[in-house]
Amino acid sequence: MFDWSVIFQNTDLIVKGLGITIYYTVLTTVLGLVIGLVIAVAQICGFRFFNWAGRLFVEFFRNVPLLVWLLWSYYALPIFFGINISKQAAGIMALSLYGAAYYAEILRAGIQSLERGQSDAARALGMSGAQAMRRIILPQAFRRMIPPLAGQTIIQMKNTTLLSVITVPDLLYQAGYISSFTYRPMEIYTAIGVVFLLILIPSNYIARKLEGHN
Amino acid sequence: MTSSQTSGTAPLVSIRGLSKSYGQHQVLKNIDLDVHEGEVVALLGSSGSGKTTLLRCINLLEIPDKGRIEIGGSAIFDTPAGAGRGAAVSQRQVNGLRSRVGMVFQHFNLFPHMSVLENVMEGPRTVLKENPATNRDRAMDYLGKVGMASFADRRPDKLSGGQKQRVSIARALNMRPQVMLFDEPTSALDPELVGEVLETMMSLAKEGMTMIVVTHELGFALEVASRVVFLDQGCIDADGPPADVLLHPTSDRVQSFVNRFHATAELMRPLLQNN
Repeated sequence: MFDWSVIFQNTDLIVKGLGITIYYTVLTTVLGLVIGLVIAVAQICGFRFFNWAGRLFVEFFRNVPLLVWLLWSYYALPIFFGINISKQAAGIMALSLYGAAYYAEILRAGIQSLERGQSDAARALGMSGAQAMRRIILPQAFRRMIPPLAGQTIIQMKNTTLLSVITVPDLLYQAGYISSFTYRPMEIYTAIGVVFLLILIPSNYIARKLEGHN
Repeated sequence: MTSSQTSGTAPLVSIRGLSKSYGQHQVLKNIDLDVHEGEVVALLGSSGSGKTTLLRCINLLEIPDKGRIEIGGSAIFDTPAGAGRGAAVSQRQVNGLRSRVGMVFQHFNLFPHMSVLENVMEGPRTVLKENPATNRDRAMDYLGKVGMASFADRRPDKLSGGQKQRVSIARALNMRPQVMLFDEPTSALDPELVGEVLETMMSLAKEGMTMIVVTHELGFALEVASRVVFLDQGCIDADGPPADVLLHPTSDRVQSFVNRFHATAELMRPLLQNN
């Protein structure tokens, strides 16, 4: 009853979709980490206004469903603000900002999880705030951040499947397209699921290795 | 009589009118204190008396509300006349002055991602940008001095509490500070490990290091300190030679404090005398 040949006949489309998925994952992870670091620092710096703005950013993106935010970015921005934005740009912006909120929380928590004594000891030696951050705080905090950062990045990759609703031709979009002319959705969607597993299980494994290695 | 009044030289650490509050609670009330070169000052007092806060103000890990702090003749903190709150001299100067004040913490605060030797080398390396070879040689000398040279390549988490504290003393010494601050250096240790840390501190005192020690070890205060300063509710209640303050207390507060710790002091005495 299953006909797996449809997968092999459409490998080119699946590979193309995979390329798009990886492209968006890498791009929005990097952008998300950069924005996330800015938001994290804003939340723990000495300025009340930045603390508050960072908090607001995180709360906003953590409490709006990604799908709603994605559709809103693509359809509502042009209507409300007259900004014409391509689906690629809308997708990258929506996923990056959404990821940034979660990365910011991981980075902030990692920095704040260090005992106060560590920065006390660094400052008592005469280090500046930046020196203490670079030599003492971040090396220790980063080790603690690896597992949650890896976990969030894996979620980020899975979240790229939502891009198909704004017709970005990622893996899931290609699956829908292939199904529409082969009438074999079961086989196609199973294959897509397997592709994710094949990529993410080893990624998880590497992340765990890194954690133990440090 | 305080020893600060007996000495003619300028004090190494000079504190004037120091006040600090947390919310409504005033922890330090207008403290004046001078510490001269070579003095070993034991800072005593029951918990909540402000002794740790006072110690942490001396290298500005706590920012006082008011007052003036000088180290080696230069002000590191001063309330400008008429200003409501004091301000540290520029951050850069504070970092520079902090590097001349060594600090040893109750919970050691060694850097767990570095080896013992790297811990000791870290200050001169990052703050003083010192030549690595010179730094390493001197770090090894200090590790030898605290009896930890053979542990140079270990990670701090492989050490006992007493060993950690000795490494943290070496780490502070490697900055060649003018004064060493100790914040309850033996309070987090198992009783059988207290002796090795006190021993290290005693040899440091004998070499003439200026030390300010917040402690609960009355034995140490009696045998090693050249002066005892007793804090009570944010004020200096007694200040003088250890024997005078502790054995012939004139203050009720000191009397009741000493009574409470009498048993411990007696236990410590033979151990300290053996060295």
